[in-house]
Amino acid sequence: MILAFAVLQAHAEALPVNPIARWEWVFPVVESLHICGFTVLVGTIVILDLRLLGLRLRQQPISQLARALSPWIWAGLIAQLITGPYLFSGDPFEYVQITAFRVKMLLFLLALIFHFAVMRVATAPWRDAAALGWRRPAALVSLSLWVGVMLAGLWIGNL
Amino acid sequence: MELLSFCQWLNQTRFSAWLREAPYPFPILIVVHVIAIALGGGMVVMGNLRVLGWAMRGVPVSQMIGQFRACKWAAFAILLISGLLIAASDPLEYYSNIMWWISLTVLALAGVNAAIFRYGIYRSVAAWDDAAVTPPSARRWAGISLVIWIGLIFIGRAIAFF
Repeated sequence: MILAFAVLQAHAEALPVNPIARWEWVFPVVESLHICGFTVLVGTIVILDLRLLGLRLRQQPISQLARALSPWIWAGLIAQLITGPYLFSGDPFEYVQITAFRVKMLLFLLALIFHFAVMRVATAPWRDAAALGWRRPAALVSLSLWVGVMLAGLWIGNL
Repeated sequence: MELLSFCQWLNQTRFSAWLREAPYPFPILIVVHVIAIALGGGMVVMGNLRVLGWAMRGVPVSQMIGQFRACKWAAFAILLISGLLIAASDPLEYYSNIMWWISLTVLALAGVNAAIFRYGIYRSVAAWDDAAVTPPSARRWAGISLVIWIGLIFIGRAIAFF
């Protein structure tokens, strides 16, 4: 292990350089893709949240809307899971020390758990005819978590 | 030139210096600006995808477009105001930044494109409200809108790069 590390270090200059560290235009391009990704991800979740709040698309059954939005939530999420770690790879030791980065990762994890646990239950077909009840505050929590992820994420660049 | 002298005047005002030098105004404006594009742009994109027939085929077009109009206008206003304030923080820099002018032009194109849809093909929406496959001109509008908004994100980010 130590030997492998020593060999790696000795040949560090021969290792292929990560494009994000090599060309300065790669970062803004990948970051733009990351913004497009969260536009789709958060844009779709906000539509679902507004429905659960009873503010928009009230004529649509909740479970059907959730099912229709699902592939776009996944598309946005997959884009984030590719572009996010790649942005991180440019300077990992720096990012882990930034408070905004740590807060963002925590909020992202909470938002994902909330989405795939609570929101899944909230959009179950058998609840379609029921009153919105607890699903209104749940939608507010979802909205706050995702806006929080964006806030913390954008703050990383400011520190 | 008139605009250049305006930028020079603005640059030496206390307001512009405050936006530029105080620790919080600028980062807050950037955060507000990007969140407005994510939330407003997200609704624009989902409306476009519905018209294209790529998403939410079960939801009538008029609901996807009509019910989110107020939200999109609010996001657009926040986007424009925060963007102008960002520009006011360093007017001479943005005045000579080609990407800033391209971004403003593309934003205007987005407005023209939306107006063409709204006062053109959209007036006959009742005839294709529930259709999975909407008329070709409606899909053309939605496709152009999608490209414009994705382009705006890249161009907006590029302003800081140039």
